[in-house]
Amino acid sequence: MGGSTDETRFLTTARDRQREMVEEYYRGLSQAGGPKKPVAYMLVGGNLTEIVRSFGFEVVFPEIVALNCAIKHVSLQNILHAESEGYGLDVCGYVKNDLGLQELGGDTPFGRIPPPDLLVCSFSGCYVYVKWWEALAEKFGCPLFMLDVPYLRDATPQGEDIAYIVAQLNEFIALLEKITGRSLDRAELERTLERARRAEEGWVKYLSSGQRRPSPIEAYFEAVFYMFPINVLRGTEAAAEFYTIVNAEVEERVKSGTYPVPEEKFRLVVEGIPPYPSYRTFWDFFRKWGAVSVAATYPKVGGLFDRGFLHDPARPLESIAEYSLGAYVNQSWPLRRKIIEDYVRDFAADAVVIHGIKSCRSFTAGQGDLRDRLIHDLGIPALYIESDHEDPRYFAPAQIKNRMDAFFESLDRRRESVPLPMVTG
Amino acid sequence: MTLFAGVDIGSTTAKCVLLEDGTIVGKSLAPVGVELIKDAERSLEQALTDAGRERRDVTVITGTGYGRFKVTFGQYTVTEIGCHARGAHFLFPATRVVLDIGGQDTKAIKVDAKGEVVDFAMNDKCAAGTGRFLDVCAGALGYDVSEIGTLSLGARHPVKVTNTCTVFAESEVASYVARGKDPKDILAGLYGGIVSRSLSLLQRVGVEPEVTFTGGVSKNEGMVRALGHRLGLPVNVSPLSQYVGAIGAALHGVERSRGVSA
Repeated sequence: MGGSTDETRFLTTARDRQREMVEEYYRGLSQAGGPKKPVAYMLVGGNLTEIVRSFGFEVVFPEIVALNCAIKHVSLQNILHAESEGYGLDVCGYVKNDLGLQELGGDTPFGRIPPPDLLVCSFSGCYVYVKWWEALAEKFGCPLFMLDVPYLRDATPQGEDIAYIVAQLNEFIALLEKITGRSLDRAELERTLERARRAEEGWVKYLSSGQRRPSPIEAYFEAVFYMFPINVLRGTEAAAEFYTIVNAEVEERVKSGTYPVPEEKFRLVVEGIPPYPSYRTFWDFFRKWGAVSVAATYPKVGGLFDRGFLHDPARPLESIAEYSLGAYVNQSWPLRRKIIEDYVRDFAADAVVIHGIKSCRSFTAGQGDLRDRLIHDLGIPALYIESDHEDPRYFAPAQIKNRMDAFFESLDRRRESVPLPMVTG
Repeated sequence: MTLFAGVDIGSTTAKCVLLEDGTIVGKSLAPVGVELIKDAERSLEQALTDAGRERRDVTVITGTGYGRFKVTFGQYTVTEIGCHARGAHFLFPATRVVLDIGGQDTKAIKVDAKGEVVDFAMNDKCAAGTGRFLDVCAGALGYDVSEIGTLSLGARHPVKVTNTCTVFAESEVASYVARGKDPKDILAGLYGGIVSRSLSLLQRVGVEPEVTFTGGVSKNEGMVRALGHRLGLPVNVSPLSQYVGAIGAALHGVERSRGVSA
């Protein structure tokens, strides 16, 4: 078994820069008198950030605020407040964190979250999310735009679906023009998309490093930190530059032999949202066994750029429509399964670990079938464990650790092919 | 120095088994309290007394169960999932599926021909359907859990226990008692409920013969019959069924002492 990694050696320049970017972003949002720009709230999956940025909006992603609250151990107070307002135990933790936080005034350990001037529901695949945005619209009385994105049925988005979304984007642009009193600056949108594309290319390069042996990256626990620029700041120069720093660091790691664990023993594909309230504890359960995530699906919820899609400044609206359709959460289960199976093959993974979310059936439904298919049809070892992305009450460390230890034990023994001792009853 | 000890610290009992040349030569079983290290030590001492041997005769000690990290005087720890797989294979070599119902959890484990874990599924954060569940429900019927093993065998009209929560099931049992239902029928209903919950775990790993039933609840004959009936398969139960985890731990110790890492 490998010992715990020397994190200060592993996570250095890029992690420091990421921290700075997070701090700068929240500082900008929480400055006295509110942010200088109007604020649009948006969902991560299939978001329209480039369009709203080109109209001069700042973007807030309440899902990301919620995960930051959870990792800072303040989500429970927000969740409890939402429950006291009548939201049930099983309602999505992101939703309850956000609505509880809004009712409590929006203050977090990383700054004050400003109220929205515009609400953009960019992912309609989850009905709870639709209701969440409606609740925010009722509270803040600001315009609400619902983007209806059909589920992706085939690997390639269909022409009628792209046309349907482009028609909605034109309606959205008309709304933005009415709110701001200015016309769409097409050249600025194209420049924003070009910067987004450069960030996407850098992010893809980073993610592909997991194919190396040993992997110089942790494609789940570390990539979650590095999701921030691609999700929150996509379209800015800072985001594009960030991945240049990250990839330079990856090369340094390879040169210096600095890896996520001292000895890579198991290569994993990980599916599902992490348990943010117990992030470090959960990560330690992997590190203890020398297990490294070489590929993961969750860091791609903001875009499956590694599957061939990149924003195209030459086809701005069509490209944004294709992006919205191709969001990971918008893919049918056969497509999601295919992605995971491809990752196992392309990244030479030993097994798949699936983390299900108690309060999110939208993302989690189907993960049991995924586990069964991997084990029974494909012979790929898989573990399903469950807690929550936001609510610390669902994380039972002893039970989760026990299941993970048993899983890694069985992988270990399968690899060793241990002969049975000659014993009699 | 020829003994291999397996110490299984579960949620309600501590079990220890001593193996010598592939034969069980000593064992012990006692309730656990709050001082798990002492419970673990006591369990080893009692097994040594049972075998008429001394501590210096022990080569390797392996801890298992939720309290395995409290077997601080041992050399190795292994999860109870791996140990139940290995222990069940030791007692019934054709075992392919193990159902273990202990004090507070239920495990379904798929094993290969060598007794290695292929897949497993466990109950999730709720003790319904476990030994603790039976304890509570026996109490609601006015019995001790040790008295109810064969009581349900004379049931004629089993009731339906719908609740999947230990606390609510106790209320449901109390309401059947208040309505004058025969305790045999209530127990048969309870066993049916537990088997249903277990079946969902078993089906997740895939049921195939032979099925071996382990853990404290396997000592309940009514449960064994209810399980066999629902599966439509004979179910292996050993008189040593409570010791299966400890046996598996001792076997892991044997393997590791041969220099095979696990």
